[in-house]
Amino acid sequence: MKKILLVLTVTLTSLPVLADDNQKIMDHHDPHEMNHGDMNRGEMNHDEMDHGEMNHGPEHNHGSHEHPTENAKEDVMTMSVPAITTTDDISAALANGGAPVVVDVLGVVCDFCAVAMNKIFGKREEVSALYVDLDKKTLSLVVNKGASLSDQDIENLAKRAGYRIAAIRRDAEALGG
Amino acid sequence: MWTGVLGILLSASAFARPVSYTGGWTLIQTANRASTAGLLHYSVSHKVSVGVRHEWQRDDDVTLTVIQPTWLAKRWYGHNYQANVYLTGGLGTATDRSVAGLGSDTASFVGVMTDWETRTLFVSYEARFLEQGKLGNHSMHAARVGWAPYTGDTGELHTWLMLEVDHRKHFDNKTTVTPLLRFFKGPALFEAGYNITDSAPMFNFTYRF
Repeated sequence: MKKILLVLTVTLTSLPVLADDNQKIMDHHDPHEMNHGDMNRGEMNHDEMDHGEMNHGPEHNHGSHEHPTENAKEDVMTMSVPAITTTDDISAALANGGAPVVVDVLGVVCDFCAVAMNKIFGKREEVSALYVDLDKKTLSLVVNKGASLSDQDIENLAKRAGYRIAAIRRDAEALGG
Repeated sequence: MWTGVLGILLSASAFARPVSYTGGWTLIQTANRASTAGLLHYSVSHKVSVGVRHEWQRDDDVTLTVIQPTWLAKRWYGHNYQANVYLTGGLGTATDRSVAGLGSDTASFVGVMTDWETRTLFVSYEARFLEQGKLGNHSMHAARVGWAPYTGDTGELHTWLMLEVDHRKHFDNKTTVTPLLRFFKGPALFEAGYNITDSAPMFNFTYRF
């Protein structure tokens, strides 16, 4: 049985569909040259991130490092990022002066994922409304007026729910502006 | 009869994620050609759950009651997929309910569960090795493929067409095939299938609290 477990583990860690994505993540950037704008990079694990559709912000310097598939990456970089998903609750919370936040979440594939994030983020007093959008793979949040929820807080909460975040957008950027 | 109905309602499978969000409770029940069982677990973190499992192995008329911890050993996060490897185990008591009256013995098992899932494709494998002393040892392997004909958004009804192949060497029909339907909505998941090799129904249910 130990042999079965060992073989299984080795096989899984070498699956191309998984390895390719992780390789893409590692190849994409030198972490020391990254500029993610307002994102708190303090303890974010970039090895587990899919940077494929991340918004790297206007200050990201593409000239300072190589992009092996530059044309393909340009397509990704110029595509629009998802704005906040509006529901009745989110619209009402925004009308009350709440601050919009959109979180790109990795690994969101089913309703159990949405349930997990609803449970974890919904318990926070700072959050007045939220919605997990499986189509956009985003978590839309409205933070109460006067309250704050840091990028690190959001990352930690997503981790408690069992997921990882790829990007966080706030205010005008979260509204699609 | 009521024992059978209860058994059908209380069975446990590993194809529904066996670790939830931190602080979450999950009820998993399964009924298949071999057993019916229930597992109620609490996730102490997003990587570890601890639960109580009760299982009735219908062929031998043996019941199993164990404490079952499960560890999410690895999760891969992709923009369009999620993949997991879980390791699990159990320790408790097995009791012979048949006319043979063999009594009880210590029972333990180890298992591994893996899955890879997108919004429209699903692949999984699980194995379990069970030791029950004088009541016998069993091993089980099961693999699944699944396809969703449409992608439902949050809170909508998600429907999957799945095919499961299982192998249990202590059965006359060692390897069997079960086509099934999975319905998924919010915190509830329900599966219904029919083992076409062994002519046995399959019913599974999972609920996240």
